[in-house]
Amino acid sequence: MTDQPALAVEDVVAGYGGVLALRGVSLAVRPGTITAVLGANGAGKTTLLTTISGFVRPRQGRITLAGADLTRRRPEEIVRAGLAHVPEGQGVITELTVEENLRLGALWRHGHTGRAEALADAYRRFPLLAAARGRSAGTLSGGERQILVIARALMARPRVLLLDEPSLGLAPRIVAQVMSLIRRLRDETGLTVLLVEQNARSALGIADRGVVLNLGKVVAAEDAAVLAADVGLRQHYLGF
Amino acid sequence: MREFIQFTLGGISFGMVYAAIALSLVLIWRGTRILNYSQGAMAMLTTYIAFTVIGHTGNYWAGFVVALAAGMVLGAVIERTVIRPVENKPPLNAVVVTIGLLVFLEGLAGIIYGGQYRSFPPAFSITGLRAGSVSLGISRNDVFVAGAVLAAALGLAVLFRYTSTGLRLRAAAFNAYAARLLGVRVGRVLTLGWALAGLIGALAGVLVSPATFLYPASMDSIFVLGFTAAVIGGLDSPVGAVVGGLILGVALNYVGGYLGSNLVPIFGLAALIVILMIRPSGLFSAGTSRQV
Repeated sequence: MTDQPALAVEDVVAGYGGVLALRGVSLAVRPGTITAVLGANGAGKTTLLTTISGFVRPRQGRITLAGADLTRRRPEEIVRAGLAHVPEGQGVITELTVEENLRLGALWRHGHTGRAEALADAYRRFPLLAAARGRSAGTLSGGERQILVIARALMARPRVLLLDEPSLGLAPRIVAQVMSLIRRLRDETGLTVLLVEQNARSALGIADRGVVLNLGKVVAAEDAAVLAADVGLRQHYLGF
Repeated sequence: MREFIQFTLGGISFGMVYAAIALSLVLIWRGTRILNYSQGAMAMLTTYIAFTVIGHTGNYWAGFVVALAAGMVLGAVIERTVIRPVENKPPLNAVVVTIGLLVFLEGLAGIIYGGQYRSFPPAFSITGLRAGSVSLGISRNDVFVAGAVLAAALGLAVLFRYTSTGLRLRAAAFNAYAARLLGVRVGRVLTLGWALAGLIGALAGVLVSPATFLYPASMDSIFVLGFTAAVIGGLDSPVGAVVGGLILGVALNYVGGYLGSNLVPIFGLAALIVILMIRPSGLFSAGTSRQV
């Protein structure tokens, strides 16, 4: 039984041009858990995810996935190491159909039969996608698109899923459905999730751990229940 | 009436060549948002290569196949070396690079082959076909030209719609960031897009060179008309490219037939200007602006 974190970020410094968005961030995500990354706008949450997935090169520090060093690798290789990243704004390819979006997620991983199986699995788990399979992805509502991009990311059976603000722009009832979906995925498949959220209350509702970023640094890293109970911390950094 | 039919059918052959150039331009535009001003020059170079092979082997089809293969290689090499550095830069950089490439390729052809007009063989007979005693205005070669370009267009359509490679090509063109997040090697996909465009352009070159003769600048006017066809159809639309090519080819043949062949170039340019003025996004496009 290994103690190795599914994903580990060690002292990562990263930024854009002259602006450092991450000033030495460290965190470790245990397999089969949901870790919420919280904090105000501009705290560095999105940069953390885009650095892990390889779109931003860290200037210092290390990133490992189940022990394998992924620092400074290209996104294509990081994805093939078992990481999936659902970006801010979802990244639905609206010119393709729902099924084509899903198939795209499976291409690098599976051959013909594997793709068919992965597609069948996705439709079993997400009947609303099965119903919409031939439609252009642009016709889906915000909540449906969020489900689509999560299902699409899962097509390659990743070890770790990075989710950037899945609740953005969604009505509270839909947010609850999406959060509940993420929790079910952890419970039923042992998926490891790193969840960036501005909606800290919803995120802490399903997370095992919470990490709070402020101005590019980690200011708190606790079990989610502890974080949720710390009223001072909540009010200071999380707004509730 | 008989003249009208002849002019219509006769315009299809050239129209299909414009359609092929337009298709190459659309392929590259959709994939990289770059207008490849050197598309015609690339086709000229691969036709010279075919010319050399035919000269050595005496076999037309050997030259034909080598030209198409050379087109793919040329397209891939150009994307990888010259275009890759400007793909994410301001559009003007790519314009300068592809125009520079045009000049370079024409100069290269002049150095290697000289500037004299060469005659290039057609694939099939160019004698006019007849229906009974009525001359149709087209030849067996014209039918081959139309068929070859149609086959290429259909082949592309099947590739894009029904294969995984086609899915990757489309995804990379629509949303490269999302595609990369799903593990698509966008760089390789773009190289393939240029290779396919090079292939279609090479096809256009060997198909039209019997009529235009082969010399370093022989594809210049074909390129302009192919570009016009692409603009008419909408730079984003492969269907538009083919339709635009046909419309332009047939319309210019009417001009040549009814008004005189020296008016054809003027009408071609006039068509371009008119389309850019009244519907610059083209007939089949969604109507967003572009900078090139």
